[in-house]
Amino acid sequence: MNEVIEEKISAEYKYGFVTDIDADNAPKGLNEDIIRFISAKKNEPEWMLVYRLEAFRHWLTMEEPDWAHVSYQKPDFQEIIYYSAPKPKKVLKSLDEVDPELLKTFQKLGISILEQERLSGVESRVAIDVIVDSVSVKTTFKETLAEKGIIFCSFGEAIQEHPELVQKYMSSVVPSSDNFFAALNSAVFTDGSFCYIPKGVRCPMELSTYFRIEAAGTGQFERTLIIAEEGSQVSYLEGCTAPMRDENQLHAAVVELVAHKNAQIKYSTVQNWYPGDKEGKGGVFNFVTKRGICLEENAKISWTQVETGSAITWKYPSVILKGDNSIGEFYSVAVTNNYQQADTGTKMIHIGKNTKSTIISKGISAGFSNNSYRGLVRIAKGAENARNFSQCDSLLMGDQCGAHTFPYIEIKNNTAVVEHEATTSKIGEDQLFYCKQRGIDNEKAIGLIVNGYCKDVLSQLPMEFAVEAQKLLEVSLEGSVG
Amino acid sequence: METVIKTRTIKDKLIFEFENSKLFLFGSTQLRDNAMESFYKQGIPTRKHEEYKYTRVDLMLKGEFDFSTNKNCSDAQIQPLKFLKDAYVVVIENGVFVEGSSNVENLPKGLTVCSLVDAEKSNSPVFEKHYAQYADVKTDPFIALNTAMTKDGAFIHIAKNVIIEKPIHIIHISTTSVNTIIHPRNLIVIDENAQAKIIESFETISATAKTVSNALTEIVVDKNAIVDHYKIQDEKELGYLVNTTQVIQQRQSVFSTHTFTLSGSLVRNNLTVVLDDEHIESHLNGLYLTVGNQVVDNHTVVDHRKPNCNSNELYKGIIEGKSTATFNGKIFVRKDAQKTNAFQSNKNILLSLAGTINTKPQLEIYADDVKCSHGSTTGKLDEAKIFYLRARGIGLVNAKKLLMHAFASEVVNTIKIEALREYVEEKISKTFE
Repeated sequence: MNEVIEEKISAEYKYGFVTDIDADNAPKGLNEDIIRFISAKKNEPEWMLVYRLEAFRHWLTMEEPDWAHVSYQKPDFQEIIYYSAPKPKKVLKSLDEVDPELLKTFQKLGISILEQERLSGVESRVAIDVIVDSVSVKTTFKETLAEKGIIFCSFGEAIQEHPELVQKYMSSVVPSSDNFFAALNSAVFTDGSFCYIPKGVRCPMELSTYFRIEAAGTGQFERTLIIAEEGSQVSYLEGCTAPMRDENQLHAAVVELVAHKNAQIKYSTVQNWYPGDKEGKGGVFNFVTKRGICLEENAKISWTQVETGSAITWKYPSVILKGDNSIGEFYSVAVTNNYQQADTGTKMIHIGKNTKSTIISKGISAGFSNNSYRGLVRIAKGAENARNFSQCDSLLMGDQCGAHTFPYIEIKNNTAVVEHEATTSKIGEDQLFYCKQRGIDNEKAIGLIVNGYCKDVLSQLPMEFAVEAQKLLEVSLEGSVG
Repeated sequence: METVIKTRTIKDKLIFEFENSKLFLFGSTQLRDNAMESFYKQGIPTRKHEEYKYTRVDLMLKGEFDFSTNKNCSDAQIQPLKFLKDAYVVVIENGVFVEGSSNVENLPKGLTVCSLVDAEKSNSPVFEKHYAQYADVKTDPFIALNTAMTKDGAFIHIAKNVIIEKPIHIIHISTTSVNTIIHPRNLIVIDENAQAKIIESFETISATAKTVSNALTEIVVDKNAIVDHYKIQDEKELGYLVNTTQVIQQRQSVFSTHTFTLSGSLVRNNLTVVLDDEHIESHLNGLYLTVGNQVVDNHTVVDHRKPNCNSNELYKGIIEGKSTATFNGKIFVRKDAQKTNAFQSNKNILLSLAGTINTKPQLEIYADDVKCSHGSTTGKLDEAKIFYLRARGIGLVNAKKLLMHAFASEVVNTIKIEALREYVEEKISKTFE
């Protein structure tokens, strides 16, 4: 069995490659001039520049947080290139005009845009807002969506074309002064996705963005804003892989979700950025602020994430349950291997009456990694009959790794019912024995058990993602079980 | 000429007092200086301090304090506090051992009960070996402050193979008429194969001013020893208590501790149990009943350092009025501690709209072959259960009382000394009135 482990542990990162696209880089470092440069490059209105500068000035007064259960060499923010964009090209009408290099990249990732096109007309198709580095190159299915009145475009485009929506909702959920990385993002973000679902519209397809980090030394600062008007529904997918790099790359994204009355937003993430090599060298720093707000009654926000990549993960998708009867959900699988460190979880802030939240978190640690769940459930004074159920399980594989749980539960209303439970254990010998006795070999048995362990979460993923997620789990884990 | 008047912070005052009263303090100069330096570095924790996030100890220390401690209560006043008729009793008034009120004559062979000051004077090797060895001044400012500024406390030693049937009862009383801060300190050493039952109670009588007790108890449980430890905290409105308990367990020992917080303006318990060898068993139980503006904060750490140990933790609370209860329990399983079984459970009932519960049950685990779990629930009294009782002719008030008793009984029933159990039950009934 040990050979199998060795072999799997030493499996190289499959998705590590570099695409050669010329980038129009800003000089290294961060100051007000750089922010002006980014703003000018993106041809932004003045209010955006003011917003950025305010965020930057606030950021200067803040300190990098160190309360998370991770340790790493703090990034030097003056060593980062804050803007790099592929050279502007003519507007593309069909895939033939897309950079062949880029198409190759997607083929390597197993995401075929060609196939997506071929399938157009089929209901379960996926619209992809492709992001390479920091600028959207190609937006597909835009016209189909436009018919329904859905706006799905890059953030830069939204600033140009729908400034009133951006001004109304940007930073309404995550204020630019919220935390260190959110402030940094607000100051220097270059692009991202913007999505607006009008009243009563059910988005006919899964919306999806593939983020990729390109060009050495470029940090990515994405910003996503999704607004679901009254009675609308949307499911959004986000998936990431990154090329192999030696130096650490910083990623500090902000995602904001706004759900109005009776609206539903489902946000799914599969994250597989470069986790660093076997010695823990390199890898992506993933410091993300994700937050949704159920603004009015009966709204629902659901986060699902499968986290397998990144050297350091620092991520707490949260829901503010402001409207009465609103629902928040969080389903997470976090896998760490080798020297990866993850500190992830959620915050459920109950403000409205009869609000409900569910937290299911499954952590798996292997190798020398550390995996922490950190979550907050807060029941405010007025949140009558609020209900929360949390379950955080950890699975340990190997005797060098760690699994930790840090739940915070703050209750200020006596009609609330809050339950929290957590367990930590290794794969049951009896379960393994049971499988082996029936002729299932050790490795397959472990795969079976792990997949069963994560089933509660994986079943929440949309079909398009479920397969990819399962594959990811297998790649990042299967062999490392001891 | 202009004079600059600078208001001194409580930290300055404590340091000034430390310098002033060096002659009366207890322990070696080096130990105390070291501790004070550590306190100076850490300061009084504020809200920003993660471990003191929910409990404003800095507010507790606002205002003027006097540091002199006088004895001013009579034997007759102390008598009712000796609620165990058949016990060895140690009375510590305002942080100082009172021999006259204590009941430590005719001790059986192998049992030593005296003041810390006497233990030091008699050059007891046990004292020298264990004093201030376990509670690390660097980990908490209150440990540092106690180590630096303690004046006295109880020293209890049970020799090898000795079984003490009668419980040993340490009564801490505060009786001051001016605002004061005291630092009582106890050292309890139970040698190999020995057994003992120890009760610590915290009471206030005839006090007219605020008393902040920064009490610290170190307990050493040697191989195969069995120790039952109880804490009854009943300090009323003027009592502010920071109570640190540091326990170290050796091979195959069994240690059970039970903390009952019945009253007190602010009670903060820091309980740390270190399982330093194999085949150890630890039980941590707690019950807190909070009313009015009370703040009760239980911090527990179970540190599994070696393989094959079991720990079990159960904390329950009933919260009423505008009170705040906090439970922060950490299970720490080190790399070598394979085959650990560690369980933790925290259950709360919130009776009022204005009450607050903060719980933070944590697991920090570095070994893979372990079974660890924690659970936490918070809710109100079950409507269905109340309905069931009322349908059977029991009034609403009584039905609620019955349910609260049932809720508390899971912890109360872990008390093995009958007289003590009755006493606690009576106290709980009174709280529910």
